[in-house]
Amino acid sequence: MIMTEVSENRPVQPSRKAKRKFNKEYLWGYSFVAAPILGFMLFAFIPIGYSVYVSFTKYDAFNPPTFNGADNYARLLLEDPLFWKSLVNTLYAAIGIPIGMAAALAIAIALNQRIVGIKFFRTVFFLPTICSVVALTLLWKWVFNADYGLLNYLLGLINVSGPAWLNDVRWAMPSMIIQGVWAGLGFHMILYLAALQGVPTTLYEAAEIDGAGSWKKFLYVTIPGISPTTLFILITAVIAALQDFVRFMIMTEGGPEYSTMTIVYYLFQNAFRYMDMGYASAMAWILGILIMIITLINFWLSRRWVHYE
Amino acid sequence: MKAKKAICTTVSLIVLATAAVGCAGTKEPNASKNVNQGTDNNNAAVDNDGAANTGDKVKVKFAGWGDPSEKQVFDQLIKDFETKNPTIDVEYMHMPADYVGKMNTMLAGGTAPDVLYVPDGDFGRWVSAGLLMPIDNYVESSNIDIGDMWESGLKRYKYDGKKTGEGELYALPKDIGPIVLYYNKELFDAAGVPYPSAENPMTFDELLETAKLLTKDENGDGKPEQYGMGPAWWEGWIWGNGGKILSDDRKEFMMHEKAATDALQFAADLRNKHGVSPDTRALQAMNDGQMFETGKLAMMQQGRWMVPTYRKLDFDWDVAPNPTNGQWDGHSGSVGLGIYSKTANADAAFKLVEYLGGPEGQKLQSEMGFAIPSFKSMANSDVFLQPGQKPEHAEVFVKAAEVQKPGPWTNLPNAKWWDTLNQNLAQVWDGRKTAEALMNELKPEIDKLIKEGNPKLFE
Repeated sequence: MIMTEVSENRPVQPSRKAKRKFNKEYLWGYSFVAAPILGFMLFAFIPIGYSVYVSFTKYDAFNPPTFNGADNYARLLLEDPLFWKSLVNTLYAAIGIPIGMAAALAIAIALNQRIVGIKFFRTVFFLPTICSVVALTLLWKWVFNADYGLLNYLLGLINVSGPAWLNDVRWAMPSMIIQGVWAGLGFHMILYLAALQGVPTTLYEAAEIDGAGSWKKFLYVTIPGISPTTLFILITAVIAALQDFVRFMIMTEGGPEYSTMTIVYYLFQNAFRYMDMGYASAMAWILGILIMIITLINFWLSRRWVHYE
Repeated sequence: MKAKKAICTTVSLIVLATAAVGCAGTKEPNASKNVNQGTDNNNAAVDNDGAANTGDKVKVKFAGWGDPSEKQVFDQLIKDFETKNPTIDVEYMHMPADYVGKMNTMLAGGTAPDVLYVPDGDFGRWVSAGLLMPIDNYVESSNIDIGDMWESGLKRYKYDGKKTGEGELYALPKDIGPIVLYYNKELFDAAGVPYPSAENPMTFDELLETAKLLTKDENGDGKPEQYGMGPAWWEGWIWGNGGKILSDDRKEFMMHEKAATDALQFAADLRNKHGVSPDTRALQAMNDGQMFETGKLAMMQQGRWMVPTYRKLDFDWDVAPNPTNGQWDGHSGSVGLGIYSKTANADAAFKLVEYLGGPEGQKLQSEMGFAIPSFKSMANSDVFLQPGQKPEHAEVFVKAAEVQKPGPWTNLPNAKWWDTLNQNLAQVWDGRKTAEALMNELKPEIDKLIKEGNPKLFE
């Protein structure tokens, strides 16, 4: 976020003298940016554009697409209860975002203290971030095991008989939320840690002179001071949550009873299991538009609570 | 300055060159895509591919999956094939993981191998998209005695333009893996229970009685340490009980009928009412295979492919027909050997299919012990029965191969109906709904999914 701010604030204004050199220097400039631009056109923009077309066709990936108007969109929005269910599931799973952010901030504050072995603790909390998603999800499958799982073992110590977690319709999604919060903790914690260290000490000093206690300092200095980072985490986490897929495929396969079927997993199934590319593309576009709207709302709301120095 | 400029020029040229190559690279598949749409140009594309063959040797690409022992057998088979057919050069692509995903991509991109494994569950999708070549004519003029092959194996690779199971043949079975009842003889002996018959399937009542005698909860905590019967491979139970999963024309879901719901309910009652079969929770801790291998499960259903593993177990075991409450029934798994419809070397590709699916290939494959050979005469010989090795009643597999149907997921190209059914079945297994209630509730939805996903069937 900070990066974009900087670049927006420093637009390159060519002076008159520079304009004379336009042709030559700009040509060089363009040829340098040609590689990424062409790469983007070929591997992102053209396929994305093609998927708009595909979303208006019946297409099995093997035979040429046949145009069928807005059929896919109509079917999706009007006749497919599973699409709506997966949408609700995905939003349900997003409950993990505020929980995860609060937890990450709390840990970051704890790890921002000057105590012995702080580097060790920081490493420990960051470690999950560098592990493969597949390995972590397999690990958590064991944690959630009904009879031998670590979680139910711990619950058993306080005489609570834990549910079958991933195999229980009511508990499967909460399990996935717990796993998601844990998995995102390390990365968000590091971002918060950096942000905390970036809050100017002068502000704290000024607050102290004004008689603020540590709670008020946290509320009126720390929170506004790290608000750009909070916005960054919020936006990226929302986008990631709406596209969440791999861990669901590995841990639950959308079950039981589609209770953990997310939009992108359902999209994947339509595309690669049912070979219904047109339908899947339509889903992708609805999801894309939804993400766009939510992100714009986030940016718009952020004006009220994000403070740049 | 000059040096700097020279570097700039070089870098820019490289960038532009790469970009140009990138353009050319992506144009080609687009072009060939257009080419394939026109039938005239299709030949041109084929000629092009043909011209790529150097010298007299014809190159045939062949793709399959399998564990290292299967790869070893196929390496050996291919070597032998190449010696016998010196003009054919086989390129074997072994894809141990996500075979179907990768093959879908290759098929979509037009770069699929000439000969490929076709899982029976994916056959319908691929054949209905025109990706496989009909092989009837080839088979007729080959040395393969189709009358000696399992009808149940061949049938699943037929397609009449609307549905599978009838019409032209599009693949030869590489193998067929029937499902049977495995039982731990020592647990039967310890409980003084007679072994299941190798001739007649158990009725549901017999199964329940036997399973009760073999379930042991010695510490009385309500969680048996030893279960009588593993989870049901319920498809065969429904069929054996006289029920149907789909209607004969495949257009309708039929599991709401009494014969089907009775069978499902019985399977669920084994866990919930009688406690002789492990529930979801117990299976999550240790699956049925692991329970069987560690002597915690007396009977369970499994495919032929477990035989090599179970031969290493230190207790005695045997096999019996699936408990079906009636005639022999159940489903068998199979993988076919198909030819890509756009192959440039159909003749050579069929030669390979003929070899691998024919007597020579089948002999070596069945010696591995994973599958039953495609030929009845070979299955009834010592090549397959392997006297002196477990199981004692290996002939159960032979009879099972003869009568067992393809799994219901092979019946329709689009599998969404099947996924929806399976997602919901847990409600019956966990005892939250009766089979009758759930099936009647699901019927309209599944009928709709069948119709939506398989429009050709309804044309």
